[in-house]
Amino acid sequence: MNRHSRSRKALGIAVASALAVTVTGCGNREDAGRSGDAAEGAPSPGITDDSVTLGITTPLSGATAGPGTCTVAGVTAYFGMKNAEGGIEFGDGQTRTVEIEALDDTYDPQQAAANYDQLKDEVFAMTAGLGTPTNRAWRDAAIADEVPQVLIMTGDPLFSDTEESPWQLGFVPIYQNEGEAFGELLASSSGNHRVAILSQNDDFGAGYVEGFKSAIEGADNIEIVDELTYEATDTSVDAQITELANSDADVFFNAMSVTPLVISSLQKAQQLGWTPNWFLPSNTSSPTAILEPGGAAAFPGIYSVSFSKAPQSPAFAQDEDVQTYLAALPQYGNYPDPPAFPHCQWSWMVGATLEQVFMEMEEPTRDSFMEALRGIEGFEAPLMLPDTSVSTTEDGQPAVSTVVVQKYNGRGYDTVESFE
Amino acid sequence: MTLLELEGVTASYGPVQVLDGVSLSVPEEGAVGILGANGAGKTTTLRAISGTVRAGGRITFDGKDIRGMRPDQVAALGIAHVPEGRGTLGDLTVRDNLRVGAYLRKDRKGVDKDIDYCLDLFPNLEERITSNASALSGGEQQMLAVGRAIMSKPRLMLLDEASLGLAPSTAKNVYDAIRRLRVESGIAMVVVEQNANLAFTLVDSATVLETGRNVLTGTSAELKGMDEIRRAYLGG
Amino acid sequence: MASSPKTSSPKTSASKTSASTTSAPTSSATTSSASSFRQRPWVRWGAPLLLVAGLAVLPLVMTEGANDTLARIGVFAVAVLGLNVVMGYTGQVSLGQIFFLGLGAYVTAYGVQSGWNIVLVFVLTCLIPAVAGLVVALAAARLGGLAIAMVTIALPIVGVPLAKRLSDFTGGSQGLSARFVEAPEGSGLYDDQWQLYLVLVIGGIVFLMTSLLVRGKYGRAFAIVKGNENVASSMGISPYRYKVLAFTIASLIGGVSGFLYMVVVQYTSPETMSFGHSIELLVAMVIGGAGSIVGSLLGGAFYVIVPDVTNAIDPSLTALLQGALLLAVLFVLPGGLVSLPRALMRRLRRSPAGRGSAAPPTTPSSTPGSGTAAEQSETERQGHA
Repeated sequence: MNRHSRSRKALGIAVASALAVTVTGCGNREDAGRSGDAAEGAPSPGITDDSVTLGITTPLSGATAGPGTCTVAGVTAYFGMKNAEGGIEFGDGQTRTVEIEALDDTYDPQQAAANYDQLKDEVFAMTAGLGTPTNRAWRDAAIADEVPQVLIMTGDPLFSDTEESPWQLGFVPIYQNEGEAFGELLASSSGNHRVAILSQNDDFGAGYVEGFKSAIEGADNIEIVDELTYEATDTSVDAQITELANSDADVFFNAMSVTPLVISSLQKAQQLGWTPNWFLPSNTSSPTAILEPGGAAAFPGIYSVSFSKAPQSPAFAQDEDVQTYLAALPQYGNYPDPPAFPHCQWSWMVGATLEQVFMEMEEPTRDSFMEALRGIEGFEAPLMLPDTSVSTTEDGQPAVSTVVVQKYNGRGYDTVESFE
Repeated sequence: MTLLELEGVTASYGPVQVLDGVSLSVPEEGAVGILGANGAGKTTTLRAISGTVRAGGRITFDGKDIRGMRPDQVAALGIAHVPEGRGTLGDLTVRDNLRVGAYLRKDRKGVDKDIDYCLDLFPNLEERITSNASALSGGEQQMLAVGRAIMSKPRLMLLDEASLGLAPSTAKNVYDAIRRLRVESGIAMVVVEQNANLAFTLVDSATVLETGRNVLTGTSAELKGMDEIRRAYLGG
Repeated sequence: MASSPKTSSPKTSASKTSASTTSAPTSSATTSSASSFRQRPWVRWGAPLLLVAGLAVLPLVMTEGANDTLARIGVFAVAVLGLNVVMGYTGQVSLGQIFFLGLGAYVTAYGVQSGWNIVLVFVLTCLIPAVAGLVVALAAARLGGLAIAMVTIALPIVGVPLAKRLSDFTGGSQGLSARFVEAPEGSGLYDDQWQLYLVLVIGGIVFLMTSLLVRGKYGRAFAIVKGNENVASSMGISPYRYKVLAFTIASLIGGVSGFLYMVVVQYTSPETMSFGHSIELLVAMVIGGAGSIVGSLLGGAFYVIVPDVTNAIDPSLTALLQGALLLAVLFVLPGGLVSLPRALMRRLRRSPAGRGSAAPPTTPSSTPGSGTAAEQSETERQGHA
């Protein structure tokens, strides 16, 4: 009897798999991808008179599930809140609710491309997904199909190049933006500084260093005294830290994306008695996960960059934006815990930015959407720090290209105006 | 005419010297037994011949030095090893196991004929021809192992403990079939056997090993007559 | 494996025919009639022809999404097939198959971007992974046992940072795009249809050649090496050489799957060859059915469809659902999905008490009916004695 039910289950699975082939195809009967764009002015897929659907492919399981889940939660919470208020009035006069359809790609480019294929005829635009390879995998297809792939979470400059990527736009600052912001602050300092550089030997590290160097170009007070690299797979950078310590630099530009390496670098430098001012990228500057275990208090200054308010920071406890956001995230975003990754905040800003676009969009078409998207200037989205904003008019830059330099205060970060 | 000749063959497993100068001579179409207690080096001698352990000394087959050759090279010369524990391929059918033995042969017709011969020799196998080898009884597996060796058309067969773990009547059946094979095919044999009574039904001469050396060598008739052999290996 | 359906001796073949013509006990009557049905010439030739015709029409009538899904299944079925050659058929644990897919994809992408002739690109996509596999195997196969597994683990683990580092060839962590498969002008085909045709033709040839390989002399040698290396040696088969051969072929097939990956996905990055995917390929192979051609197809389908299905159920629980599905299949069908018909058949046959269970219908050798026929002859002989 037991066996009987077992093999029926197996049969069920087999039938389900067989059905799945058909199901995954059936949604796409309209042939939109095959026949190219529809007639002039006719509504694009995924939009009706009272709703619009957005698609997201992002890692929801696997190693990058944490930030990936945030990329869905923020924007879902934002539009959930707006839908509850009755929807958004679009530029064509219709009021629509915004639905989100999110699929898991496990950070696998192949799966991301498959997800895109599945979504492209159901959704009006793709947005908010995390990852460079996972977004690159279907970039060409999105261009060919003329499907917007906008406000996505990647620091890859390709997505912000209007000529190369007419249907794309990145949201978060590119690596160069971050390096540049710190370089500018340093160059404006009154004193002379000797800089040591340690960067990851890939496009991440190269982007930071490129941005930094472009900002200090021509600044007489800044001298780069030593520059080393390491591999993302290295388990120790003690040798590099020791060599750099001998340069006796007073500023250390550390373009490093590997959490344990950052911690051990901080510790090694202290052992050697080398305590420079230290710059870290935004994704490896967490006070609790990195700076505290690394003993960062021993250094005169730990600097990083940011463009979003830290919701847990006591400084923003009374902030209206933060309060609205923290209330909406569990209620509409299905995200019960306090946000563990800044991607939640970023995704919320994506929602607010899209709302702006929708309000400007004059026709329910993807063309009109892209036109409106490229016309945003100086929009201060909720949760953004002062002096940062969303601007989409400058070619070669992502939607957010301004970041402010912040300094570690022992618990969190404060924005700094100058480098002492 | 000597087919296989061993002179002062040595072998060791790590620091343990297992063979300490074994000599053996097998004439063409002859059958020689190797007797001895557990650990005397009987199986290792076979392995030294088939190339599955590294050996010192001299091993010649048909006048050719084969010491140091890889097992598959030795096999290709016409030496078929029927290892202890049989080593049949459980996932394959009886027929396929037999075909495996003929792997290096090109004469398809001859192969089919030899399969028929094996099945004639071991009627039990004929009944199980499409069964997986893993479903066979111990005796049938032993028969299959011998059959597979036959399929390679060897000039010399190395038989290791063919009676191990079999009921006496089954063991006798197996040895009867091998004796018939010997008579009909003229394949030379080296026979390692705990049960000397059985061995003497098959071999012309034998050597007794103790701690990796020959201590006695003689014809079957001579050895059977010796008291110490009786006491040690013939049960009285 | 033994290709000739000839039965062993006149005696049995005679009784076999009598078994299928004269009245036989009910338990085996079904199987022998089924097997004789399968042996009729028009069935033997007609069925594959029908299949080919069906596959030729399929891309034209299916939706774009279904075509795309099927093409991706083809890609990973080929990758799983390669893994099956070395693991399912030869018994050597390989955890590095994704590396060869990735290598093939990179070779294709680089060749296409450099504007090389596509035929040359394809040849290189076969050769380079095959040579890489050969070199690895020459070193690893000598070690034997789990050492091969350890060495192959290293492949994707080294491959990912290597791909990031050699950015002149690989585009670094941003990867390479190559959109090179467009339906030829005048063919009237959509791109997705053309891509699926390419996958069907190239994948079909690989499957055909591999199935000939594993059913032939080499396949027998693989099976012997898998079964018992000592036996292989004693039969004159060098386990080392055949392990190297199997690994090289697996790498070559992996390279072809990389080419197909570029045909369908059109983008590759270091993520493509991450270690996790290698494990997923292995899981797909086991789920589909190790050491089985059809199992490789099912494995490819599993690899592609399950993420889509779990996404459709609940995108936030995909990993959990996939794990549950994996366990469910393994518990119900330890032999993989390919054993489903056999399992069903066994249950069907068990109901009327008979002795027809001796020959599982998919035994790799001889004709499906001959097992029962041989037994039949035995009972008959006893009956007439």
